[in-house]
Amino acid sequence: MSAKTHTGVGRTGMRKQHVSVEFDSTGPVEIIILILLGATMLLPFLWLVLSALKTRAELVAVPPIWIPKTPQWQNFVAVFREVPLLKFYRNSFITAGGITLSVVITSAMAGFALAKYDFRGRDVVFNGILATMMLPAFIFVIPVYYMMRRVPFAGGNNWMGLGGHGLLHSHLAMILPFAASGWGIFLMRQFMMGIPDSLLDAARIDGASEARLFFGIILPLTKPALATVAIFTFITHWNNLFWPLIVSTSAPELTTLTVGLKMLSMSFDPNRNAHLILAGLTVGILPVVALFASLQGYYVKGMVMSGIKE
Amino acid sequence: MNKRARSAWLFLLPALVFYAIFLVFPVLSSLYLSFHEWNMLTSPFEAPYVGWSNYRYIFKEDAVFLKALRNTFVYAMTTVPISVVLSIFLAVLVYRQKRSGFWRLLFFLPTITTPVAIGMVWMYLYRPNYGLINTILNFLGIRSLDWLNNPKTALLSIIITAIWASIGSNMLILYAGLKDIPTSYYEAAAVDGASGWVRFSRITLPLLKPAILFVIVTGMIASWQVFDFIVAMTAPTLGRAGGPINSTMTMVLYMYQTAFEYMYMGRACAMAYVLLIIIMGLSVVLLRLFKKGGVVSY
Repeated sequence: MSAKTHTGVGRTGMRKQHVSVEFDSTGPVEIIILILLGATMLLPFLWLVLSALKTRAELVAVPPIWIPKTPQWQNFVAVFREVPLLKFYRNSFITAGGITLSVVITSAMAGFALAKYDFRGRDVVFNGILATMMLPAFIFVIPVYYMMRRVPFAGGNNWMGLGGHGLLHSHLAMILPFAASGWGIFLMRQFMMGIPDSLLDAARIDGASEARLFFGIILPLTKPALATVAIFTFITHWNNLFWPLIVSTSAPELTTLTVGLKMLSMSFDPNRNAHLILAGLTVGILPVVALFASLQGYYVKGMVMSGIKE
Repeated sequence: MNKRARSAWLFLLPALVFYAIFLVFPVLSSLYLSFHEWNMLTSPFEAPYVGWSNYRYIFKEDAVFLKALRNTFVYAMTTVPISVVLSIFLAVLVYRQKRSGFWRLLFFLPTITTPVAIGMVWMYLYRPNYGLINTILNFLGIRSLDWLNNPKTALLSIIITAIWASIGSNMLILYAGLKDIPTSYYEAAAVDGASGWVRFSRITLPLLKPAILFVIVTGMIASWQVFDFIVAMTAPTLGRAGGPINSTMTMVLYMYQTAFEYMYMGRACAMAYVLLIIIMGLSVVLLRLFKKGGVVSY
């Protein structure tokens, strides 16, 4: 963690110092509990990967066979032949990537306005944004879906939004409803409050425009926060099912990976071909989990920073 | 308006346009729709006004909705407290390890894994004959259960999976809270000869209160909207999500079916507003409850 910029986020220097704490020394009981709980976390993943390499007979064997005799790599071939996983990956990437890009931009801009300007109505706007974070997602679903279909001049619609399917067959239908995030704005505001005003005022005296302050001073200083917002947003929307499921029901060509994984049980019989479904799940999550795990620091910072109120 | 204020509003503009189109307008439209009968095929302006009848219907005549309300209540009120207690315990355990980084990474894995995939893997772990969970139970001398196929244990099965999936992220937030507690407090307590339990209940718990409140409130907001796990664990083998015999039907799942399978948009919006009131009410009560005990700042 870079301590240089982070001391600004309303934290006292005292808490940052980390002396090793003399607790009661960790006993064997604690280690055993941790290992048991840790094994519980790991076991489903291990079972998934091993099962993906089994034959059907090996998977359903009682007593269970842990290690397949010969790894059935052709399970993966069968999955790729039946299911357009690469297309799902691509759609997920466009969806999560588009949302991330737009959330980073809107959060940085709005966060800057709320952190560094004094204007009438600021607190109303800020509290309003915070309050929306509590609303259940379903409140938006029906109107937003209908709006997407009725966008004028899109997807064969006339000026009244009638006649075609609007944006429903475009990636924009997946991206636009999440283009800004209250959490992202909140986090950027908190972070930017730590940047001293004197820095901005000095540049203003030198004749810098407000846009110049934003691009030249604020953005370079907030890179760690931008990365946190970007990674957290990407992972969250990569894993999202609800809205992509609704949109891809009417536009199958937009199917994301989460929806695709859910539909594995339509491509393969979930009882007779469980090993193939498990192979599909393996290919669907392992590469991303490995990637996301390497970004743990950013993700956790994102979770933790949203916990700091006031 | 002076020049600075104008710049501020310009920086806010993209976000405000978004909030107007995708939040304010839909929230009001949903409220309007909840008092109308609409199937999305006609114009919403021509939808007949039906007063409170959507609300009356879901509470008086719709047994599935009431079942979904009950199931969601049971799900949220068991998943969140159990997960939070376990993760406090786990956070303290991990905090005391020298190699805490390894453990944090391990417990982080379920947090970033797609919930649909987690649900589908657990569906197979719960299989009555060859599933890993019954195998382990049998090994311990316990009889096999029917888990997801039995209406009596189906919701319990999903609760167990949800707890498993949420412990990690809760623990990481609480761990960060623990790290923020000044070590000097513990040193002083140790000098005074305070026992481990006294230090935990007098220093750790009170100072961890903001973090605990946070995981409870966010956990509640998410749990009342559970959808992914239910769909992933019940739809493939039972043919229809929410089964067997609606024993795992939850509010958002039923809203989804009401709107996009039965095309009763008004009813679905009424349900969404009921959920909104529950979530808002619960959040306010929790915040009050914690404020009353006094959030210790340090």
